[in-house]
Amino acid sequence: MHTTGTPGAAPGAAAPTRTSDGLRARGLVHRFGSTTALAGVDLDLAPGRSLAVMGPSGSGKSTLLHCLAGILVPDDGSVTLRGREVARLDERERSLLRRRHYGFVFQFGQLLPELPAVENVALPAMLNGAPRARATEHARQWLVRLGLAGMEERRPGELSGGQAQRVAVARALITGPDVVFADEPTGALDQATGANVMRILTETTRAAGASLVVVTHDKGVADWCEERIEVRDGLVVGHHVRESWDGAAARADLSAGHGGLR
Amino acid sequence: MRAVLALAPRLRTAGGSDTRLTTGLAVLAFAVTTALTLSVVGGLRGFMARAANPTSQYEVDYAEPYVWLAWIAVVLLLVPLVTLGGAAARLGVARRDARLATLRLLGVTPREVVVLTVVETAAQGLAGAVAGMVLYGVLLPVWSLVPFMGSHLTVGEMWVGAPGLLVAAVAVPLLAAVSGAVSLRRVVVSPLGVARRQTPRRLGWVRLLVAVVGVGLFMVVSVAGGGLGAAVIGVLIACLGIAFATLNAVGPWVLGLYARLLLWRARTPARLLAARRLLDDPRAAWRVVGGLGLAGFVAGCLAVLPALTMEAGSSAEDRLMVDDLTTGAMLTLVIAFVLAAVSAGVAQASAVLDRRREYALQHLAGVPAELFHEVRRREVLGPLLLVGVGSAAVAVVMLSPLLGFAGVTNPRGLLLLGGCLVGGVLLVLAAVESTRPLLRQVLASRDVRPD
Ligand SMILES: Nc1ncnc2c1ncn2[C@@H]1O[C@H](COP(=O)(O)OP(=O)(O)OP(=O)(O)O)[C@@H](O)[C@H]1O
Ligand SMILES: [Mg+2]
Repeated sequence: MHTTGTPGAAPGAAAPTRTSDGLRARGLVHRFGSTTALAGVDLDLAPGRSLAVMGPSGSGKSTLLHCLAGILVPDDGSVTLRGREVARLDERERSLLRRRHYGFVFQFGQLLPELPAVENVALPAMLNGAPRARATEHARQWLVRLGLAGMEERRPGELSGGQAQRVAVARALITGPDVVFADEPTGALDQATGANVMRILTETTRAAGASLVVVTHDKGVADWCEERIEVRDGLVVGHHVRESWDGAAARADLSAGHGGLR
Repeated sequence: MRAVLALAPRLRTAGGSDTRLTTGLAVLAFAVTTALTLSVVGGLRGFMARAANPTSQYEVDYAEPYVWLAWIAVVLLLVPLVTLGGAAARLGVARRDARLATLRLLGVTPREVVVLTVVETAAQGLAGAVAGMVLYGVLLPVWSLVPFMGSHLTVGEMWVGAPGLLVAAVAVPLLAAVSGAVSLRRVVVSPLGVARRQTPRRLGWVRLLVAVVGVGLFMVVSVAGGGLGAAVIGVLIACLGIAFATLNAVGPWVLGLYARLLLWRARTPARLLAARRLLDDPRAAWRVVGGLGLAGFVAGCLAVLPALTMEAGSSAEDRLMVDDLTTGAMLTLVIAFVLAAVSAGVAQASAVLDRRREYALQHLAGVPAELFHEVRRREVLGPLLLVGVGSAAVAVVMLSPLLGFAGVTNPRGLLLLGGCLVGGVLLVLAAVESTRPLLRQVLASRDVRPD
């Protein structure tokens, strides 16, 4: 089913084509030894929606993301994706889940240094069974769409931080994921570049009909998302939903005067 | 200075289990280098002893050529031995790079950083040298089982003696320290460079210097060795030296071409990644398998000899000589494979540690661990078959017009060669597999914050 997503085919903002609910967590608990990193978290995220996870350092944001994304198995509670229980799959199945249904953007360093940008993007599609020629073609289209035309053959070491993050966004979206997870995606970037990456991340994820979970310290970054939760000591202590999403406000706020792709 | 030296143990423990593992690998590599160097030198001494005190008419007539041949084996193994020692030193330094760069940023002086590293690497070299001497002691009875000259070299004949051991105990840590200091130059020159993981261009002249010193040392030793047919040996060594230089210049280039071919044909992610890695640094691949090039070629040539001489219907002496030549060539080949195996293990461990963040994040994103294992296997196996097996095959094919049907009617030499090649390739693959736990540990880490 999931082979490669095509950058051109944008199903529209709300992406109502997806069935049933999106991502749902109930009573998530996770402990590291005597530390309780998650103390019972509930969460719902509809398809195509974006959610910012905020909170102080050590509050459990990354742990929550890892439990939702099938990286960690929670000690208690459940995670369902489109109605299917995914938290307690075995290691191999979770790896498959991450590869087929999820996309990831990390702070930095997720691109393989030996591969040119286009092959870094094509790799997940190839892992999902797409032939090399087709995967490469799709990867090229994604790079062009994200403003990286002409940089297809560059190695990660030859890209700026912002460019590398955009390659990472392409890598996350090429498989047509249900959810994209981003842990501090702008953490290594300056503010203008970070805003630019957030704009591209939120816009393209919405256009592709995928949900987006962004962990961040930065209120400015969180403002790009439609919903925001506040985590403290492993619990969700606040949930804000922006009813009428108006990206223009955040855009004006963050990238005013910075313009351009850098 | 004292304060910095006192930091050393804490730097080590701070690294946790992967620093322990790299330290272990570095010590193992030094130990193998030491043990095999002592063994090879011991064998040379053994043949010299026979030449000086022959025990049979055959030895009176033929012992001297054996000494030359032993010298050739020493030369064939010298480069891979030195390369492995250097790789061990680099590995020992690699894991401390980041922390040492941090120390530099904290204001520790370059000299102190160098001293710290030199001391640690020398300590690893010393530990390896001691372990290597023990290993040499264990290996001596094994070597003495190998038939030469119709009998065996005895343990006593191959014993390098206390002076030999002393030289090893001083030379190995010294070379380790020099090698470590050279690879640390980049930290010292630019702490930010290492913090950002930028590697400046390699220092060509250092290698040239090492080569010149090596040749000089060799000449001193051979003169001191009694000037036995010095002219002949000199010419032989010069030829071998030229062959080595040519191979080392051409080898990485050929591996690069081979990588291009693989890249063009790659259909699966594993093949693609293996080809890219090989293309990215063909020199690194060459450092692992390069030593097999000449050893494989010589073994291939000599494997053909028994069949040829049988055909000619030669004397008992000639047959013994030919048998011994084959044995010696195979022994050299096996040792070259052992060195390649340890090099491969060391290189793979370094590669995994260099890429720990990238690999861990790829794994988090759903890339299966098996992909990385397959990439490693392919990355090593391709060059290994091309250089190790390929060079032997070229030799056999080259001599096949001379060989004719003798290869079929008298396949002993070829079978022996085939056995050595298969065993050697399996050994190298096993060494690559031995770093599997390290990769598993790297992939299991979710702690992917910036260093
Ligand atoms: N592997 C681990 N072993 C032990 N404790 C851990 C581990 N990972 C996280 N923790 C603890 O769990 C808690 C939550 O950690 P988590 O990484 O989720 O925080 P975070 O909100 O992402 O923080 P930051 O903003 O600093 O990234 C912290 O108290 C942390 O110390
Ligand atoms: Mg975190």
